[in-house]
Amino acid sequence: MTRPLARYRVLELTNAVAGPVAGFVLADLGADVIKIEAPNGRTAQQSAPPPAVEGAPDRPWNRVPNFNELHRGKRHMGLDLSRPEGRGLFLRLVKLADVVLENFSPRVLGNLGIDYPQLREVKPDIILTSMPAFGKTGPYATRSSYGPGIDAMSGLSHLTGYADRGPGKPAQFYCDYHAGLTAAFTTMAALRHRDRTGEGQYIELSMLEGEMQIIAPAVMDVTMNGRVQSRIGNRHAWLAPQGVYRCAGGDRWVALCVETDEQWGHLARTIGHPQLAEAPDYATAEARRREHHDGIDRLIEAWTSQRSDYDAMHTLQAAGVPAGAVLDVHQILEDPHVKHRESLDWRYHPEAGNFPHTRLAWRARSGDHGVSGPAPLYGDGNAYAVQELLGEPAASLEALIEGGVLATEPRG
Amino acid sequence: MAGSLDGVRVLDLAGGSFGYAGRLLAGLGAEVIKVEPPGGDALRRWPPFPSDQPDPETGARHLHLDAAKQSVVVDLDQPEGCDLLRRLVSEADVVLESFAPRYLAERDLDYDRLIEVRPDLVMASVTHFGQDGPYAGYLGGEIVDLALGGYLKLTGDADREPVKPYDDLILQHAALHATVAVMGGLMRRDATGEGDHFDVCVMEAALTLGGGALQMYHANGHMHQRTGARLLSANPRYAYPSTIRPCRDGYVHAHSNNRHIDLLAVLMPGLGLEALLETPMANADAIDEAMDQWLADKDKTEAVRLAQELRLPFTEVFTPDEILSDPHLEERGFLVDLRHPEAPEGLKQPGAAATMTATSWRAERAPILGEHTEAILTDLLGMEAGDIEALRASGAVA
Repeated sequence: MTRPLARYRVLELTNAVAGPVAGFVLADLGADVIKIEAPNGRTAQQSAPPPAVEGAPDRPWNRVPNFNELHRGKRHMGLDLSRPEGRGLFLRLVKLADVVLENFSPRVLGNLGIDYPQLREVKPDIILTSMPAFGKTGPYATRSSYGPGIDAMSGLSHLTGYADRGPGKPAQFYCDYHAGLTAAFTTMAALRHRDRTGEGQYIELSMLEGEMQIIAPAVMDVTMNGRVQSRIGNRHAWLAPQGVYRCAGGDRWVALCVETDEQWGHLARTIGHPQLAEAPDYATAEARRREHHDGIDRLIEAWTSQRSDYDAMHTLQAAGVPAGAVLDVHQILEDPHVKHRESLDWRYHPEAGNFPHTRLAWRARSGDHGVSGPAPLYGDGNAYAVQELLGEPAASLEALIEGGVLATEPRG
Repeated sequence: MAGSLDGVRVLDLAGGSFGYAGRLLAGLGAEVIKVEPPGGDALRRWPPFPSDQPDPETGARHLHLDAAKQSVVVDLDQPEGCDLLRRLVSEADVVLESFAPRYLAERDLDYDRLIEVRPDLVMASVTHFGQDGPYAGYLGGEIVDLALGGYLKLTGDADREPVKPYDDLILQHAALHATVAVMGGLMRRDATGEGDHFDVCVMEAALTLGGGALQMYHANGHMHQRTGARLLSANPRYAYPSTIRPCRDGYVHAHSNNRHIDLLAVLMPGLGLEALLETPMANADAIDEAMDQWLADKDKTEAVRLAQELRLPFTEVFTPDEILSDPHLEERGFLVDLRHPEAPEGLKQPGAAATMTATSWRAERAPILGEHTEAILTDLLGMEAGDIEALRASGAVA
């Protein structure tokens, strides 16, 4: 097996989610990714970590589930870039790297003395990939924001949610994942260009502009028709019926979408209303959507509420209706399709134990898919960087740790 | 300026919203040939259209997702059409496709057959559930794939049914995964000379968006609930707010400064926030009430300006019309008019996904249906006018 990026090294100066996503995509593809974290760089932990595996030291910062998901396959350095020795060490590593990836707020690299011109002085063909929220030019360049704040400005919040409630948001960190994947493939394209021409470059990925690729229909509808689209809940803009329907057993649901008039017939017969399959005023999606959607929803739910989510899905699919159980994380861990495809890539972490990583969304004929390793232990890349890459003796490593330039556990 | 994917030729048979993958590769400079069925890809029939008049050349989705591509019409239900596709593949580096599993195999056009004519082919097949597994034969779609991938269950309010995000978010997200896979395939081909075939699965793309919810459940049994516009944590000391609240003229996204949680009380003095922010997550409802009082007499731009001055990452909840006139996007030239001859003048759409200093982003209009059939058959395949005419007459190309 030859992972696509096995010959490249990435220095990752990231926090939050978007930057780490870009880094783990490159790590999954085989790059030697070194996550560099300021010794005091951790904000409050989001949840109690699981207990340490038996016999392992009790270092809770090595067991934070979301951090470990976002840093699989990487090495880790605790490095204080604000110290001259830390900056010097970093620039020596840049000479041995192909890519520097960062998602600090716009002024940070300059303040640390490691912006693109300075990196290029030590490594002329370096590729620097920056992921500012809004870009480094324009009126919002100096604003700070996390992913959910970008959902708001991209229009996605206004367009997501129930028709009778305020703006919503796609769960968790959608914007960060979109930006992270976009940063990863543009960085690969820049590596390809460098391999052919010897020319490095600076990539600026505005998370806002990346995410706006998703809302083009709504923006263009304003010019085309003077229409300002808003939330339509689970309905479809032109197909019908589409919705999420309650099933037996509490917070259990099945989602379905009728894409053709033929499927409408299948649905009507399956839920016990064959007369609607033939009814002329239900014959088109437009009529079902505009005139009858509420009534159809009630008939569907009367049927689904008598069944489990999986039963409803299997019965509807057998009848030729696109339908899916609305799975929770427990069901996903048990789901036969997820197991069959090995959509979760289980790796053993020396302190957190067996851990399910969600691999990137493909299987490769070559077998080169899935994550390339478990999450790192804090500072496990310190020795690798100083001794293996830079050829320094063990005494230098110890002095750097002693002097607080390198950290072996988070401070503060 | 050169494109970073100059010299890469892509055959794009990925339909509908999966066309995002080819659009991104075209933006980076690849020559992307959209191979469409007679009558065109379904994407051309999806609204919105100018003045709500359906037209296969002017739909917003087609104009955006097919930008910078060429269009060739080939009928894969005719043997001559299948032969022609094989000849095109022999000249291509990449194939993108989104047919149901077995569709291509039934026509002897699956990866095993195609590498007979192009041994180092990089190919991505995007389907709702992948090429194999218990659900591989199931019917999918945006809301169904979101459901089975676990992302739907996490989106929406706790007291209501789960709610899907806007439009075809997850189908486009799977296309983004396909783009990454193809870029990896090209890099691997550069290193080894070998091609690869990627079985891309939308349900798995939805799984990746769980944002750690599954890992958290595995680790400590905590089941993440739907929390609407809020980011919530079981830890009472964890930072809050991250939510959306109403203001005088709309809505604002409010977010804590996670390093200086007390800053919110500086922005909104006299509302008792100092005490509430001792355990912000435990006081989420009361913090919302205090913020609502402060926001009630402020416009969103004013509220955001005051917050950002204190390094509190507040942002406006913009509507699509506000985006069109946004001064930031204007100054950066992000929204572009690609001057399609049949679309209205001044129609702006999202432009480059990234800015690169050494390589260009290709900003060209979407193609008319079959616009490049003749040129590609002539120039790329070296076909004679008479042969092309015969294929046209039989309907194998258009």
